[in-house]
Amino acid sequence: MAMIHSYWTAAKIAWRETRASSGRFAFVILAVAAGVGSLTGVRGFSQAFHTVLQRDARGFMAADMTVRTFQLPDEKQTATMDRLTGLGIRRTQITETLTMASPGPDTAPMLVSVKAVDPEAYPFYGVISLNPPGSLRAVLQPDAVIVSDGVLLRLNKKLGDTVRIGGQPFRLAAEIVNEPDKMTGSLNVGLRIMMSRVGLERTGLIIPGSRASERFLFKLPLTQSIGAVRAELKKVFAEGLIADYTEAHPLIEQGLRQSTTFLSLVSLVALVIGALGVATAIQAHLQQKMDSIAVMKCLGAKSSQILRIYLIQTAGLGFVGGLIGIAVGSLIQMAFPYFLERYFQVANVPRFDPLSAFQGMLVGLLTVLLFTVPPLLGIRKIRPALIFRREMAAPRRTARQWLRDTLEPVISAVVILAFVGLIAAWLSDNAQTGRYFAFAIAAAMVALAIVAWVLLRLLRILGRNLPRASGPVLRQGIANLYRPGNHAGAAVMALGVGVMFTLTIWIVQRGLLKDIIRTAPPGMPNVYLLDITAASKDAVYSLLEKQAGLEGKPEMIGAVSATIQSVDGTPLVREKLQGMARRYARTVTVSTALVEPPFTQILSGAWWEANAHPAEAQVSVGDQAARLLNVHVGSKIVWTTPQRTFQSTVVAVHKSESVRLSARIEFFLTAGALDGLPAIYYGGVRAAPKFVPGIQKSLYETFPTVTVINMAEVLDTIQGIVDQISVVVRFISFFSILAGAVILASSVAGTRFRRIREVVILKTLGASRRRIAEIFSVEFFVIGTVAGLMGGLLAVGFAWAVLNRLLRANAPPDWLALGVAVLGTAVLAVVTGWAASYRTLGQKPLEILRDE
Amino acid sequence: MTDAVHISSLGVPIPPSASAPAIIEIVHLTRTIDTPSHRVEILRGIDLAIPKGQFAAIMGPSGSGKSTLLGLLAGLDTATSGQVLLDGVDITGLTEDQMAEVRGRKIGFVFQSFQLIPTLTAEENVLLPAELAGVGAENEKRARELLERVGLSERMDHYPVQLSGGEQQRVALARAFVTKPPILLADEPTGNLDGKTGQQVLDLLLELNRVEGTTLVLVTHDPGLAAHADRIITLKDGLVASDVLKAKA
Repeated sequence: MAMIHSYWTAAKIAWRETRASSGRFAFVILAVAAGVGSLTGVRGFSQAFHTVLQRDARGFMAADMTVRTFQLPDEKQTATMDRLTGLGIRRTQITETLTMASPGPDTAPMLVSVKAVDPEAYPFYGVISLNPPGSLRAVLQPDAVIVSDGVLLRLNKKLGDTVRIGGQPFRLAAEIVNEPDKMTGSLNVGLRIMMSRVGLERTGLIIPGSRASERFLFKLPLTQSIGAVRAELKKVFAEGLIADYTEAHPLIEQGLRQSTTFLSLVSLVALVIGALGVATAIQAHLQQKMDSIAVMKCLGAKSSQILRIYLIQTAGLGFVGGLIGIAVGSLIQMAFPYFLERYFQVANVPRFDPLSAFQGMLVGLLTVLLFTVPPLLGIRKIRPALIFRREMAAPRRTARQWLRDTLEPVISAVVILAFVGLIAAWLSDNAQTGRYFAFAIAAAMVALAIVAWVLLRLLRILGRNLPRASGPVLRQGIANLYRPGNHAGAAVMALGVGVMFTLTIWIVQRGLLKDIIRTAPPGMPNVYLLDITAASKDAVYSLLEKQAGLEGKPEMIGAVSATIQSVDGTPLVREKLQGMARRYARTVTVSTALVEPPFTQILSGAWWEANAHPAEAQVSVGDQAARLLNVHVGSKIVWTTPQRTFQSTVVAVHKSESVRLSARIEFFLTAGALDGLPAIYYGGVRAAPKFVPGIQKSLYETFPTVTVINMAEVLDTIQGIVDQISVVVRFISFFSILAGAVILASSVAGTRFRRIREVVILKTLGASRRRIAEIFSVEFFVIGTVAGLMGGLLAVGFAWAVLNRLLRANAPPDWLALGVAVLGTAVLAVVTGWAASYRTLGQKPLEILRDE
Repeated sequence: MTDAVHISSLGVPIPPSASAPAIIEIVHLTRTIDTPSHRVEILRGIDLAIPKGQFAAIMGPSGSGKSTLLGLLAGLDTATSGQVLLDGVDITGLTEDQMAEVRGRKIGFVFQSFQLIPTLTAEENVLLPAELAGVGAENEKRARELLERVGLSERMDHYPVQLSGGEQQRVALARAFVTKPPILLADEPTGNLDGKTGQQVLDLLLELNRVEGTTLVLVTHDPGLAAHADRIITLKDGLVASDVLKAKA
């Protein structure tokens, strides 16, 4: 009872304190709101998305179960599916592929993704809505196509007009307003066209070996067990991706989980920096309250009582910030579907997720309390005698006091990091991630603190050695950075973290795109040709050679789909393979090479003699495949194709330049090894960009089923995706910069009384308001510049490392970004600094001097 | 003018006219501060005993140790050596929290610069010591009565910044008496006020002190103010230079 009473009293006093200085706490509330807002928004949307995936799972798949393969089904697979049909299970097939669509004789053909469905059966669940309204069955005639949003505009056509696909004319019958399984499709970007299966047959696009995805949709009667059907299908579709509505879509779920973890951790960074801001603000607040605390102690308050008051006050502020954050989070949650609408049509996303709100609030409060406990514990050190002996120098510390004062922050830091790690582990559902996160935060903070300290130290030395002629403004402005209680280091660090984070993402995004565009080495194809049949390959090649604007010799390579049955007598079983190696359990693309392909380097063994035709095939294996499959010179690989099985001996391990067409093939066999097997050819050529549409047009006219990809179009799509992702990340990391500004503002507010005294003294000594404003501006500008420089330099460094080492792109450091960062941060610091201290300029000297 | 000096139970000199038992006893009190550059001896061995109900004024030039002595009496600071006994209890060995409790029960404070909490209203400021002692609810009426007695019944809801210096000091007086402390320590209570307001505040202080029966220890530079005291103790260079007990009228 006594305890409740004392908490009640503390709460009352805390409320009175807060009530009278609510404006001062706006920064604290803002910092918490920013962190909690981004966290709640990310997790809330993730949860809502997950709920929608679960709720509309059948609709998103348009079926109870789907099987996706990248080959046409073989006899065994067809027989199994037919048997299931006999059990009352309905089935329909969807084929998705890339091809060219020609709007007319005067326009270059465009790359489109085609989805062929059976309108009699598709979709089993969900509704496909069209504009003008109509039923799919009625609209999707064999000579008609329906198109997604934006296609008409790009093709410069209207409904009723005709486009040619695979050389055949198709009427543009309607626009697709809603397509239930859009997000579970293979190709849900770019210009999308849907046609009937009969229409697809008309085009002649699908031949064995074509780059197409086949999806089989199943609708089960209520009596059928999902598990049993799945097991049955699994037996024959070993390589296929089987999904059922109970798991919605595993890839999307996995992607959602990963992005949620990533964005949650980014939000946690913002929150941690925000909490750092709150801690600085609380420390500044306590510095201003030192007299009040000393008075309270004089009036009989114990340290624990005062601690309780300010703890309750901080928790209360955190709570209010959290509530605002939850409101902001709900807005973010509403904005996410907008970011994703190009890829996913998510209707009726729940607007508010109480669990995420609770999590956000809990994490927010925990983080804020964790970070503010050290400054709050400082209350114990405020001695009531302060009121009597303010101006006296601090007494010398005893060894014990020194040890305590040194150990306390270290222990606090370790405890805080441990808790932050636990929170990260909780948010990511992974203990290791938590450990890494805590370690990374610690390392980043220490690195930034050191850099901030060094830079500020250098400035101090510079300030002391400035010539008299430089004037008092610059000298005084720099000297102000070392004013007692001025957290210049903390402000620089926090702002620097925000700048570093946001800028790194921006540079990586920009650098990656620039790299893709720029680094294409001379001769690297910027036009790719897919699905060239063996019969037409020579004709395609000679037509290609005759095109204008070519900047190199066309490349063409044939490929056969085959499966590795065994390596050195050991069967290749997917379950026994780890990580990346698993992809070799699926069908791989192999080719023959009479001579060593250009831009290839032999790492071990030797290439066969030109035109060698040994009785048993020989093979050269790409370095990555060799490593993952543990294959070396002398290894035996047994291959299976629908037509036959054959053995090959590894004679070389090679490495191809990744930008070359030959790098797409990891297994080169000797001549004759693939004779009689259905081959599909791929081509590539480098052409001046302005000639590419002409090449597309010319090829389409003669070979309408050959897909011609213009890299510029692909880059557009990549840019679109990268832009959208980076907008989300930048949006969240922006909160870190906001938190940095909060720290700066708090530290400025914390030194308000000292500033007022300085203003008054300077005014008494004859300084004009303008002169004083200049002094303060120099101080804020220096903080901003140092933070911008530090964050910017680190961002340029990190981005360079990520681009060049991790992503293997070739991007030079982005110095322009650094310049923008430095200038932007300096301006932000000056604005924030003045926002927190403009009133000090108006102080009348006498009223302050009288108080002294 | 002065009577002969007697010796208390602890060997501390007490003027013979002060027959009441000592509520404050100070024995060989020293206070030294070591700064990184030098050592400052503020109090160099003070012995005093102040009987219950006495009004003692402590005078002395700046730096003589007046405020430090007051701080040590209140347990706001730690003595380098010696003892301070309040109502027979040695407070020099108490922990900070124990000392806070003693202050809450036994000591009222009036400061030169009022030291009101700027974020609390006049009434809340007065009530604060009672609330900190966990007896806020019982003392709400007393807080209002005290504010009425100091003439601020109309300004209870005002914040310190909305009050004049004299009014602020009157709030501080009400606050000092709210928990009925047996000892009142005052540090230059009229030092920041003009002559007329200072006199009003002093009259109120003496009136409240008389009615409440408090022992008053007042630090001042002002001989006029000290003239109201029963006893004038003058410090110089950290030592008692003179200790004069006025004859009762």
